[in-house]
Amino acid sequence: MTSPVVRLYAAAAALAAFFLTWAGIAARPWAAPPQDTRVAAVGALEQRLQRDAALVRQIVDNRAALAHASASAAAPAPPVRVVTLPPVTTTRTS
Amino acid sequence: MLRRRFHAMGTGMELVLDARPTAVAMHALASAEAELHRLERLLSRFDPGSELSRLNERETTTVGPELLEVTELAVAARERTGGRFDPTVHDALVAAGYDRTFDRVPRLGDAPAGTAPCGGGIVVDRTRATIELEPGVRLDLGGIGKGYAADRAAALLAAAGPCLVDAGGDIAVEGRPWPIGVETADGTLTLELPRGGLATSGRDRRRWTRAGNEQHHLVDPRTGRPSESDVLRVTVAAASAAEAEVLAKALFFAGSSDALREADAHAIPAVIVTADGRTLRSGALG
Repeated sequence: MTSPVVRLYAAAAALAAFFLTWAGIAARPWAAPPQDTRVAAVGALEQRLQRDAALVRQIVDNRAALAHASASAAAPAPPVRVVTLPPVTTTRTS
Repeated sequence: MLRRRFHAMGTGMELVLDARPTAVAMHALASAEAELHRLERLLSRFDPGSELSRLNERETTTVGPELLEVTELAVAARERTGGRFDPTVHDALVAAGYDRTFDRVPRLGDAPAGTAPCGGGIVVDRTRATIELEPGVRLDLGGIGKGYAADRAAALLAAAGPCLVDAGGDIAVEGRPWPIGVETADGTLTLELPRGGLATSGRDRRRWTRAGNEQHHLVDPRTGRPSESDVLRVTVAAASAAEAEVLAKALFFAGSSDALREADAHAIPAVIVTADGRTLRSGALG
């Protein structure tokens, strides 16, 4: 028969092993650490600002193009005169 | 004086910058050249991957700011010229035989050239950045694209000094007056252009023959076939190269008498060379 002392040590070791396993599982090492809510808020803010910036850029581009188109169509022809200078280049049928 | 020559948009390009060869000037030249190549990739009807080709295939599509802007300019020009300028000439050009880049178009062909109707709805929606074409309508921006590109390139170059951009005859200038040659019936006339653009449209280039009939690239939107105007070519100065291109085509299709009358009435500087060898100057040239 095993001595009571050995059985006591075996029971203590089994109990210790059980608690160590339980602690290991309870720690959930496979799960992602909880995210800091402040970091998440900054991320969301960044995305919103990027969307707003793209929208503003589009509006500015559209207004600039519209202004350019209107100005080009409405602007009078520049004053052109005939000169005797040597031409820098010659226009031709494009 | 810095000069850079290269090929883009199916023609020879030249950038002229009145500046010393500093890093800023060289960067401006490189940027302007890159812009012209970029716009070619967006606006070419011959490149199946271009934004314009995608629009012509799908009829409605979301587009970038450049195609949106140049289409809007083209639509405004169609209204302003009463339809003498029209970007919907795509199918008529193809029917006439101009169905590939011009250097690959056969100069002689036995099959007769066809015609195709022009016109049709184009809806540009700036808010949604979309263009919608009426079913069956396809755009060709060859009549305004080079002028538009020249204006864009000149705006980039101008940061480094007075400049001139020659996009195959469609010219934009900035910064100071530039002397530019114009071919007349019997020589060359030099015009001093202080700003804006100068463009020439004519049937003296980009010609081919189908079943014995001469074809050329200036399709009259009212007939859907190459124009039979008595004008050989027209040179116009305007506030921008894109506008000069539009006006040159509108005057070309008007015929020499009406073109001269219209140029005088609207103070448009224009040189008109007729097919029978006359050179007419509008009153705005003095």
